Amino acid sequence: MLNDITIGQYYPGNSMLHRMDPRVKLVLTFVYIFSVFIPRNWAGLAIAAGFLIFIIILSDLPAKLIFKSIKPILPLILITSALNIFYVSKGVPLFDWGFIHITSQGLVTAVFIAIRILCLIAGSSLLTYTTSPTTLTDALERLLSPLKVIRLNVHELAMMMTIALRFIPTLIEETDKIMSAQKARGADMESGGVMQRIRALIPILIPLFVSSFRRAFELATAMECRCYRGGEGRTRMKQLHMRVSDVVYIVVMLLLAAGLFILNFILKPAL
Amino acid sequence: MSVIEALNLSYTYSPGTPFRKDAIKDISIKIDQGDFIGIIGHTGSGKSTLVQHLNGLLRPTAGQVLLNGKDIWKQPKKIREIRFKVGLVFQYPEHQLFEETSYKDIAFGPANMGLDSDEIDARVRRAAGFVGLRDELLQKSPFELSGGEKRRVAIAGVMAMQPEVLILDEPTAGLDPKGRNTILELIKEYQQENGSTVLIVSHSMEDIARSAKKVLVMNHGRVSMFDETSAVFSRAAELQSIGLAVPAVTRIFMQLRQQGYNVGGNAYTVEQARDRLLPLMKKGGVHRA
Repeated sequence: MLNDITIGQYYPGNSMLHRMDPRVKLVLTFVYIFSVFIPRNWAGLAIAAGFLIFIIILSDLPAKLIFKSIKPILPLILITSALNIFYVSKGVPLFDWGFIHITSQGLVTAVFIAIRILCLIAGSSLLTYTTSPTTLTDALERLLSPLKVIRLNVHELAMMMTIALRFIPTLIEETDKIMSAQKARGADMESGGVMQRIRALIPILIPLFVSSFRRAFELATAMECRCYRGGEGRTRMKQLHMRVSDVVYIVVMLLLAAGLFILNFILKPAL
Repeated sequence: MSVIEALNLSYTYSPGTPFRKDAIKDISIKIDQGDFIGIIGHTGSGKSTLVQHLNGLLRPTAGQVLLNGKDIWKQPKKIREIRFKVGLVFQYPEHQLFEETSYKDIAFGPANMGLDSDEIDARVRRAAGFVGLRDELLQKSPFELSGGEKRRVAIAGVMAMQPEVLILDEPTAGLDPKGRNTILELIKEYQQENGSTVLIVSHSMEDIARSAKKVLVMNHGRVSMFDETSAVFSRAAELQSIGLAVPAVTRIFMQLRQQGYNVGGNAYTVEQARDRLLPLMKKGGVHRA
């Protein structure tokens, strides 16, 4: 049953987005997320959404994947839209019945914000789809390295993240195995009240903890056997290089943000 | 009368995804009451998947499992009762221990059956007796025990449910030779005393040769042989072609015969080899025919 969970949604490929320097990709994703909030008019929003669709096409990802990332957020989008429809009272009244007032402005706001959230989610999911978790932590380590000044051990933080990510599938597998073993001894995890179900977790959690500690000690020993002594003087197998193309991407993204900003002054706001 | 039976059993992992894998395909076997069966096959041949079907941990994609002639999935809500009748000891079962004392851990299964405390106590002591755990060990935390002792506690935990069929997945993996012998002997004793049916999954041909009456050979998710132990090990060439071996003693006997020595029949265990060779030695050595 636990096999259905996919963590680390990396979808291997060799598109322009896959090859982009992960540091640049990480920063540009944030820039894009902020840019989505800039437009106050339909044209700007259309440009932001169109840009994203263009990037998705460039990324060579199956459209199914993008929809999959949006799916869990749909209820949130529906609720926000509904709230906007019912609470915005400006504009031409379209529907009036008892305490329900729907105005044209309410509908406009609802659609506008829904598109905004969609762009936000789809945009950030692109980052995790096209970057493997280890590359991502690598990029994060590099980006955070200035924090060494305030004595934050960025290397250890990144190492911990990498290890945690690496062991998620292992832990899932282990949980599955322990669950099966306890079920074979008649453990009942599917019935009973809340307290009973919590108690039914004990036979699973304790062995899981024990094995996690054992694994942690083994890993620590194995790392020490290979002379791991933290980040001091450590070189990397995969060097991150910024290329000309990466600079181009940065320029394009900044132009987009600036353009959206300027459009706000030229066009009449829709909100 | 077969106690447990598989009918055209198939199972597919993650159907409908790129990770789809047919673990077992169209398996039909009958296992008789009181049999001691060894299951062999290389890694990934579907042994573990098969045994997890026999106690209803996995629900077959196609086919049926019959226990005493009845489909175990006829009433899915009562599948838990099947698990008390078909006890499954997982690989490295010591990893599932969780209670404060070994005693309580062995009592976990019987307690889940809803037995009264006297019956639970009787069963725990009986099971502990089978695996040779002394009383003082029962009161210790299972995490304080040695590897071999932990394994025995875990096996006792399943034996205490007194299942009709006892299945053990690699019960001797990772143990030293003495530990292996102890575990195998106690499983044999348990089987003889209770007349229950036992299935052992193992990579060790020596273990299988010593204890099993019949051997089931799995290859790529299918049953490639299911016969008396001697009959299976006499097909050494076929076993080798699917990446399995015969016991070392058997190999020696086969080579001796190839070189023309008249050593009589085959031998699968060191004891059998001794019984065949000693009389010949007394008669003045083994000669080429």
